[in-house]
Amino acid sequence: MSARYGLDRAIARVAPVLIVALVAAVPLLTDDRYLFKVLTFVGLNVIVVTGLALLFGYAGQISLGHAAFFGIGAYSVGYLTATRALPWLAAVAIGVALASVVGLLLSLPMLRLKGHYLAMATLAFSEILGVFFVEASAITGGNDGLRGIPFPSVGPFKIATPGASYLLVWGVAIIVVVLASNLVRTRPGRALRAVHGTELGAQACGIDTGRLRVQVFTLSAGLAGLAGALYAGVVGFVSPTTFSLEFSVLLVAMVVLGGTGSITGPVVACVALTLLPYIDALVPGLPRDAVAFLQDWEADISGIVMIGVLLFAPGGVAGMLRRSRRAGDAS
Amino acid sequence: MTMLSVRGLSKSFGGLTAVDNVSFDVHEGMIKALIGPNGAGKSTLFNLLTGFECPDAGTVTFLGQPMVALKPFKVVRAGIARTFQNTQVFGEMSVIENVLVGMHTQLATGFAAGALRLPATRKADRMAVERAGRLLRLVGAEEFADAPGADIPHGVRRLVEIARALAAAPKLLLLDEPAAGLNNAETQALAASLRRIQADGTTILIVEHDMGLVMEISDEIVVLDRGRKIAEGSPKLIQKDPAVIEAYLGEEVPDA
Repeated sequence: MSARYGLDRAIARVAPVLIVALVAAVPLLTDDRYLFKVLTFVGLNVIVVTGLALLFGYAGQISLGHAAFFGIGAYSVGYLTATRALPWLAAVAIGVALASVVGLLLSLPMLRLKGHYLAMATLAFSEILGVFFVEASAITGGNDGLRGIPFPSVGPFKIATPGASYLLVWGVAIIVVVLASNLVRTRPGRALRAVHGTELGAQACGIDTGRLRVQVFTLSAGLAGLAGALYAGVVGFVSPTTFSLEFSVLLVAMVVLGGTGSITGPVVACVALTLLPYIDALVPGLPRDAVAFLQDWEADISGIVMIGVLLFAPGGVAGMLRRSRRAGDAS
Repeated sequence: MTMLSVRGLSKSFGGLTAVDNVSFDVHEGMIKALIGPNGAGKSTLFNLLTGFECPDAGTVTFLGQPMVALKPFKVVRAGIARTFQNTQVFGEMSVIENVLVGMHTQLATGFAAGALRLPATRKADRMAVERAGRLLRLVGAEEFADAPGADIPHGVRRLVEIARALAAAPKLLLLDEPAAGLNNAETQALAASLRRIQADGTTILIVEHDMGLVMEISDEIVVLDRGRKIAEGSPKLIQKDPAVIEAYLGEEVPDA
């Protein structure tokens, strides 16, 4: 058993280095603009999904409103940089802060809600914000959205190429994943899992469960806002359709598929599900029909995968890994 | 010295009076038992003492501080930790992680420090793991340290909850039927653990149906029947008390 744990630990040590090396190696291997764009989207989703994994996978709190927090971050940066000509970094900070504050304010009245009711409340919030994005056209540009959002820049450095955008987004994504992986191994992470396990037990351990739930919701909303804030500058264009309920559901599907109580699982699932409709960017020889099919049926495929996971492998990817490890220990 | 002082505590649910004007004291350093037939109000009383229920009337004073209407987590911070009759073990976490959660009030790591996992955080966690191991040995559950909470036998869950409660370094430990589901040998081991916990300076208030255990370890006993306190005193006195014998449907309380 100890040899096995030693191996596990070695893998746990080496894997992050390999992933960072792989992410950093992509610009050396290719200069395909389309591929960079696709991978940038993957990185943005990884940031949101990491936050949602903390909220849903660890604390057991569902949110169907994360697309809206993403939208708050994106519109903040779009409006502040394009219309108000604020420096990009300041706009990002404001976007993240705004998404966090909205998350905080939303989580307070939702403290009494659980399960389906929480899902409904976050869904309603998402719909309200969806209407706001369309109707507050002086800020959001209405249905047309905001165009001509400047590239991210810090002082004289401008991040204007797809390759640079890719590195920016993945740099942030890796930092977020590392911080979240640290977090779940320490006191606050254990408390999140405890609240999910049994709230009575968590309270008996001296955990202020209400405060903890507000904290994790705020953090999770802030991370979605961060991804949105990066999105605006990288894509240069923001419109209401991006922040739909469909996106929120897809994010939840990624966490479900990835498994509860894990950061790695949801990140892997996020990479897989985000790449699915863009499979042609990765596998060049694929027939057009097959790609078109995947793109048309993307939402259905995600839905079926989610139902399949819930029915047959409720632990998701992470659960299957844990089971195989346990089976390995037993043998 | 009086550690916990309960005065005129009452709680009813609808028409049912679960706890009816109950008063008693727990002195520092003792093991006090709370016994009574099923439905006597013992668990409700525990919930009232730990902030899980709010009493209709009465006061609870712990080390001079009023406890009533405090939320459960504040009760733990004040120095009272508990276990549950229906165990509340975190099933998805390993046994040792369960005990680590019990150290929530003893560790300081917040979200930022946890995310950065600074050397100080790692060191605190390493020491916490060591201490959790010691607590599991103290209750006799060390062999299950790495097992998921959901996979351990029922009797062991109670022991894990004791270790988890001790992890909060309480001055007063409230145990709700810790011996349920344990066999004779395990119950003897539990009795020894409880004595050690007492010797380490933790005061214990215990609800228990195993009269052998109660008579053996407690310094004082409170007997509840239908929400009321019907007797209080040393184990010897309680065994001879006519009201107590009556409450247990004429059965004589078994000798220790």
